[in-house]
Amino acid sequence: MKHRHLFRFLLLITVIALAFSGCGSSGESGSQKESVRLMVWSPSEDQNQSTGQWLQTCCQNFAELHPEWDITFVYGVADEATAATTVSQDPQASADVFMFANDNLTVMTDANALAKLGGRYADEVIATNSPELIDSVTLDGYLYGVPFTTNTWYMYYDKSVFSEEDVKSLDAMLEKGVVSFPFTNSWYLPAFYFGNGCTLFGDGTQEELGADFGGDNAVEVTEYLIGLAQHPNFRIDADGSGMAGLHDGSIKAIFTGSWDAASIKEILGDNMGVAALPTYNLNGEEKQMYAYAGSKAIGVNPYSKNMVAAVELAVYLGSKDAQLLHYQLRNVIPCNTELLADPEIASDALVAAQNDTFNRTSKLQPFVPSMNNCWTPVENMGKGIRNGSITLENAAEQTRAMNDTMNSDGI
Amino acid sequence: MSSKKKGNAKAARLRNNIIVHTVLAILAAIWVFPVLWVVMTSFRAEKGSYVSNFIPQSFTLDNYIRLFTDTTLLNFPQMFMNTLIIAIFSCILSSFYVLSASYCLSRVRFRMRKPFMNMAMILGLFPGFMSMIAVYFILKAVGLTEGNLIRLALILCYSGGAALSFQIAKGFFDTTPYAIDEAAIIDGCTRWKIFTRITLPLSKPIVIYTILTAFISPWVDFIFAKVICRANADQYTIAIGLWRMLEKEYIDNWYTSFAAGAVLISIPIAILFLKLQKYYVDGMAGAVKG
Repeated sequence: MKHRHLFRFLLLITVIALAFSGCGSSGESGSQKESVRLMVWSPSEDQNQSTGQWLQTCCQNFAELHPEWDITFVYGVADEATAATTVSQDPQASADVFMFANDNLTVMTDANALAKLGGRYADEVIATNSPELIDSVTLDGYLYGVPFTTNTWYMYYDKSVFSEEDVKSLDAMLEKGVVSFPFTNSWYLPAFYFGNGCTLFGDGTQEELGADFGGDNAVEVTEYLIGLAQHPNFRIDADGSGMAGLHDGSIKAIFTGSWDAASIKEILGDNMGVAALPTYNLNGEEKQMYAYAGSKAIGVNPYSKNMVAAVELAVYLGSKDAQLLHYQLRNVIPCNTELLADPEIASDALVAAQNDTFNRTSKLQPFVPSMNNCWTPVENMGKGIRNGSITLENAAEQTRAMNDTMNSDGI
Repeated sequence: MSSKKKGNAKAARLRNNIIVHTVLAILAAIWVFPVLWVVMTSFRAEKGSYVSNFIPQSFTLDNYIRLFTDTTLLNFPQMFMNTLIIAIFSCILSSFYVLSASYCLSRVRFRMRKPFMNMAMILGLFPGFMSMIAVYFILKAVGLTEGNLIRLALILCYSGGAALSFQIAKGFFDTTPYAIDEAAIIDGCTRWKIFTRITLPLSKPIVIYTILTAFISPWVDFIFAKVICRANADQYTIAIGLWRMLEKEYIDNWYTSFAAGAVLISIPIAILFLKLQKYYVDGMAGAVKG
């Protein structure tokens, strides 16, 4: 009896062990070619037939460039915004190469889900991108990804209403037509505060300095925003109301990013104008608005079994050729400095506006962990102004309260 | 005199009825409003997530057609089939588990009966998704997190813990007299035969109720599907697909189709409810009685 129990127990253990080991037999390589399996994750548009299968095309080109490997590609869907959470959940069962938004950099490095790039690969990436862009994927001096586009927002406007001179100043625009701004969204609202010298974490990496959104300069901005919200030609853009306003013609300018470009083009047609952020008039002085800017980059999994191939592929997917194809197929704005110098690409208004914004009217979005505390207080400021609970009388007090919450660690 | 009194009473009743019905009509309008809005949005021809007028300016069926024809970006038919397969199998499995466990706890006396019931009570107090990450790693260790096996993994997830929620069905079984079972035993029935031939036919309402709830929970679940599917787009369920339609890249183009999808997924549930409504009400009443 006892023996039988023991036997059953051993059998169970064997079965479990078999299940765990799986089918881990490695392919015999009779030929010279080394067989390599690479799992690649990208947004579904990159793998979509109707938008030209950018990823598949690039991967095939990559395979042709490297005859020494017999590569099997496995594709998965994870867009840049959510890839970080998916990969961090279980890096060992994630793609070898994936795309991520740089504001998730610390999420991934904390989970040890992002490999550092070095040597000639790093040199190549650094040589073909602007220093600001390299900063956006660098942490503690290490390069963590291959940037392939910038990620920020700017202004779309109706050319038949505003002239190119008008769009340099928000106040000039408000006199001519209705402008809508995502006032209650904390990715957009800080633009006004940055304009008057407010800072987040010093240059964006000095976490110990905290947020500086509570000084007299910030109070001035809050007061300006209260006036702006009441301006007869100003509309608050929330839940898609700006886009709906463009549709029915009640709104003439909105602030958003490249993801809405196709829809706006459909509405405005040739009248679509794109420009970097305007200035706003604060107590008689023109102040420049600054958007948050980031990048989207290609990352490599540190647990990849074929590290060399994975890094090579990441660098290739971020290369000039791949970016050009990405731009042609899906209008993904390139960031490779050689491509941007190409007159044909440089003359595209959208590319020009996005790069102008990135270089001139934006601040690199900090990715220090304390940044997580900064979103809700700013959003509440926008909502408070909208519903009238923040007025000129309590502006100073409320601005300081916002700053205190941004600098506190709790909820 | 008396006829006048009668008239007064009639008038008073009429007045009360008018007031009551107005209040009820207003409340009904408020409750139906969101549903109506989703249905109207699903037929709306204007694009975008925000509209300034309540009733769409023009109506179209394109939102529905698009869900089934434009499958390159978000493959709705496949998601629908995935979800249907998962929901049907987990419905069968978990109904079987729940009814069997309830029957045993109601009819059979064994030593672990009380401790098991207490334990189930306590475990039931914790939300299921607390164990989500652990469940994921266990499934991964067994090798169920890739390819078509994800469907199996999800079915296991949804039906595995079902036996812990036996309370309502057990309460119902307790109300059937034990004398019937005894009579059956004398006639030579086994436990299994009593369960299938006597208890189940006598408990149709609770069987229906169990099937309904067992179908709906995997049909509408988002959180487990999201954690387990990860980047396997071909295994996505409807809940994930609908969620993706609202991401900033898709929302402007897909919002009306999202509403159409929301209407479509409510159809199977609505049909089940309408067909089984009578039993459903009986089932709940029976449980309270027990």
